[in-house]
Amino acid sequence: MIVSHNELTGVVNKAFLGMRRTCGEADIIANMVAGLQMVGLNGIGHFNNAAQFLTVEKDCPVDIFTTNDGGLVVDLHGCSLACHLPVVIDYAIEKMVGKKHLTIELKNCHNRWLAYNELVKLAAKGLACKAQWNNGSSPQNTLYILNQGCVSPELFLSDHLDVAGSQLHDMTIQLSVKNFDVAGYSTGYTRHIKSSELNSALRDTWNDGILVDDVEWETLKKTATAILVENSEQSLKGAGELV
Amino acid sequence: MDARPSTCGGTYMRDPETVMAPERLGAMHQNRISFVRSLVRKMAQQNWQVTKHDWQLSPQGFGHVIYKLTTLNHVYHLVIFCDEIADEDRNDRVIAEKWDVTFALVYGDVDADLLGRLRANVPLQEAGRNPNKVLVLARANKSVRVFEHLVSHLAKGQQPNAKELAEVGYILRTTAVYGNGKFGIADFGWLETNDDFNQSFSAQMCAVYILREFSLDWIHYIANQQGGEKAVSLDVDLQRYLGIGNATGLGMAPYLINHPCVVDKWLSSRESALTAVLNSSVTVNKLESLQRLLQKALCHLDQIITINEHQDDLNTTAIAELDDLLSKLESVLLQSTNWHELVDYSKEYSLETQEILLSCLMEIYPDLVDSYETKMNCDESLNLPSGKRIEDLLMVLESRYRWAIDTDFKQPENNYWFWYRSQDKEEPRLGVRGEEPGEDRELPLDIGRQAYRLYHALLICKPNMQLAEFLVLHPQYRAIARRVWTLGNKDMGEIQMNVLHKTALPMHLLRCKLAVFGATKFDPRSERWVRVTFFQGAPLLNEIHDGEWLFPLLPTDSLNQAVAEGEAS
Repeated sequence: MIVSHNELTGVVNKAFLGMRRTCGEADIIANMVAGLQMVGLNGIGHFNNAAQFLTVEKDCPVDIFTTNDGGLVVDLHGCSLACHLPVVIDYAIEKMVGKKHLTIELKNCHNRWLAYNELVKLAAKGLACKAQWNNGSSPQNTLYILNQGCVSPELFLSDHLDVAGSQLHDMTIQLSVKNFDVAGYSTGYTRHIKSSELNSALRDTWNDGILVDDVEWETLKKTATAILVENSEQSLKGAGELV
Repeated sequence: MDARPSTCGGTYMRDPETVMAPERLGAMHQNRISFVRSLVRKMAQQNWQVTKHDWQLSPQGFGHVIYKLTTLNHVYHLVIFCDEIADEDRNDRVIAEKWDVTFALVYGDVDADLLGRLRANVPLQEAGRNPNKVLVLARANKSVRVFEHLVSHLAKGQQPNAKELAEVGYILRTTAVYGNGKFGIADFGWLETNDDFNQSFSAQMCAVYILREFSLDWIHYIANQQGGEKAVSLDVDLQRYLGIGNATGLGMAPYLINHPCVVDKWLSSRESALTAVLNSSVTVNKLESLQRLLQKALCHLDQIITINEHQDDLNTTAIAELDDLLSKLESVLLQSTNWHELVDYSKEYSLETQEILLSCLMEIYPDLVDSYETKMNCDESLNLPSGKRIEDLLMVLESRYRWAIDTDFKQPENNYWFWYRSQDKEEPRLGVRGEEPGEDRELPLDIGRQAYRLYHALLICKPNMQLAEFLVLHPQYRAIARRVWTLGNKDMGEIQMNVLHKTALPMHLLRCKLAVFGATKFDPRSERWVRVTFFQGAPLLNEIHDGEWLFPLLPTDSLNQAVAEGEAS
C-alpha cells in the first residue's frame, strides 16, 4: 500500500514513544525510518525488527573511549544504534575539530541500517563519511560512502567478502574532510546501489507516496497502539465533552 | 510597551514574554495575514475560477457535487458527498463516524475511476484510504436549525429570520479538515513546490472556502426542489454573512506544542508585520479607517452570542473599552508620533481589546503587512550546533525559558494534568495525575517541565563542559536540548505555557491557532472545545476581491429586523 511521509513518521513516533525509553528521540528515529523507506530500503522492516528488542534491551548511555590515534570506540551495550547514533555523531564532530579524519568503532549494536538518514546529514556539515558493517544474514557485508555535497550515498553489498576480524554487531564509521575513493574501497562488493538510484527513488516517493509492505505496516501500526489509553468514563470527560 | 531590539532593521519588536503569553495568544483575532485572508487575496489577485462541474444530488439534497477550481497553472476539484444521517449520529467529536457532508480537494482531474474510489473512501474519513492526489480530506455537519430554517423560508419565497442566522452564522460546520499526508493523502512536502498551495494550510482554507459556496448552493437547490417557482434566493448580504462553522477541541492543542518552529514562525511573522506598522509615523489620514474598523469590531462583538459566560464577559468588557478608546482615539493620536504609542496607551485595556486594536492597525497598512503572508512557512528541524558548552545552553534557558525554569515542578499544581491519547481514534485527552489511568503513557507535551529538568541537570555540571559530552552521559536530555537551543534562538520561540498546570487553559492554544487561520466569532463550549466561523463576511466567489472583510457584521437591514424582533419578543 501507499502511505504518506507524515503518516509514516507519525506512526513511528507513536510506536517509539509507546516503548517509554529514556534513550532515543522519537522524531529522529521516525525520520531514520522514513528516510530509509523512501529510498526503498525497508525502513519499516528494520524498525519492526528493532521494536522486538527495544522494550527489553538496556536503556543506558553508551560508553565512549578514545584510542591512541584519536579515534573513538563506542560500546552500545547491545542496544539499537537508532537510539544512540545522534549523540555519538555530535560527540564525534566535536572531536573532529582540528582533524582531517576520525574513525568511530561502534561495538555491540543493532539495526545498523537505521544509521542511513543520520549519516546523510553529515554531507550538509561538509563531511564525507564511510560506514561499513557485517551481518549474520544477507547482505553480509555493507559499505556506505557519502562524499561531500551528495544527497544520497553509494551503497555496496556483498555476501562473500571475507573481512578479517569482522564482528557481526559492530560498525565502523569514518568521517573525513576529504572525499573517499569510491572505486577503491568498493572493490570486491557484488552489488552497487547507486546514489542516483536512491535520489530518483526519493523524488518518485515524494510524488507518488511511500510504498510499504502491508504486513510490515500493520505490524508497525500495532506497535504504535501501545501508547493509547483505554477508554473510560473519565477519559471521555478528558476530551472536553460537556457531560 | 515591552520592547527589545529586533534581530534586524534597527526597529523594535515586542518581547516574546509579552507576545507568547498564553492569555494574550488566547485573545488573538484574525488579521490581514491570517490564512483565510491571504487565500482570498490570492484567489482574487490571480483570478482563480471556481465552477460547478458536476451536480448529482437527489431532490432531498443527497448525492455528490464537484466544483472545479482553475488557477494560473493547475486544475483542482472539490468533490463533495452529501449523505443522509440520523440526528443521533451527528456528532462534532473526532470519534464520530458519520457526517452530513464529506469532501476532498483533489489535484488534477477526477475521472469515473477516481470518483468511485473517492465515493468509497471519503465518507469513511479516518477509516478510508485515499490516493495521494487528494490534498485535503474533511467533513462537515449541518446546523440543522439554520439549514431547515433557510430551506423552509426560501422555498416559500421568504427571507429568513436574521436572528436565527446571527445566533449561528453558518449552514455547515466542519469537524475536521485534514491535510499534510493524513490517511494517505498528499504530504505538504509535495505541495511546497506548488505555487497555488505552497503556504501552510492554504489548501485546507481553499477547500473550506469552496465548501462555503456549496453550502449556499445546496440550500438554494433544496429550496427550489421544495418550493418550485415560489422559491427565492437568499439575500446576498445574508449570503455573505454566512460562513463555515468549525468545532475544534483538544486535538488541536498538541499540534501547537509539537510544531514549535511553525508556531514561532506564525507569531514572528505577525510580529514583524506589526512592528513595521507600529514603527510608522501616525498620520491623520489613517484615523477614519481605524475608527471605522474599531467601530466594526465593537458591533461584531456586540452581535456575538455565546453560551460561555467567561467569553461573554470578555466581549462585554471589550465592547465598553472599544467605545472608550474610540472616544479618545483622536486626542491620543494627536499626542502620538508612532503607532506604538497608541498600543502603549491601550495597555490599560483588556487583552481582547488590545488584540483587536492590533488587528485593526495591521488592516490599515496593507503595504507594510501583506508581504508577510508568504513568510509563514519554516524549516521545522530542531538542531544543536557543534561547539556549544553547558554555559551557552544555560544562557538560553535563563533568557528565554524563565517561564519554565522559574516554575517549581515539585509543586503538585504545576504537574496536575497529564496528556494522553485515547483508543478512541487516538483523540488527545487530559487526565488528572494520580487519579486517572494512563499516566504511564503520558505524552511528552510537558515542554516547561522538560526544560526545567534540563536546566537543573546542567547546573550541576561545569559551565565549560562541552554540551556534546554532557549529552553522551545524559542522552535523555538531547531532545529538549535541541528544542531549547533552536527555539531559544528564534524571534518569538515557545508558547510560554506550562500545560500541566492545574489552571492551564488549552483554549488559549486553540484560539491562537484558529486566529492565525482567520477564525472569527469565538464561542467556547467548554474549556476544551470551541466553535468558530471561517469566511463569515468574506466575499462570495462571484464578487471576490482582495479588500478588507475583518469582523463580520449582520447586514444593516437584517440587523434592524433582528433588533425589532428582539424588542417584540
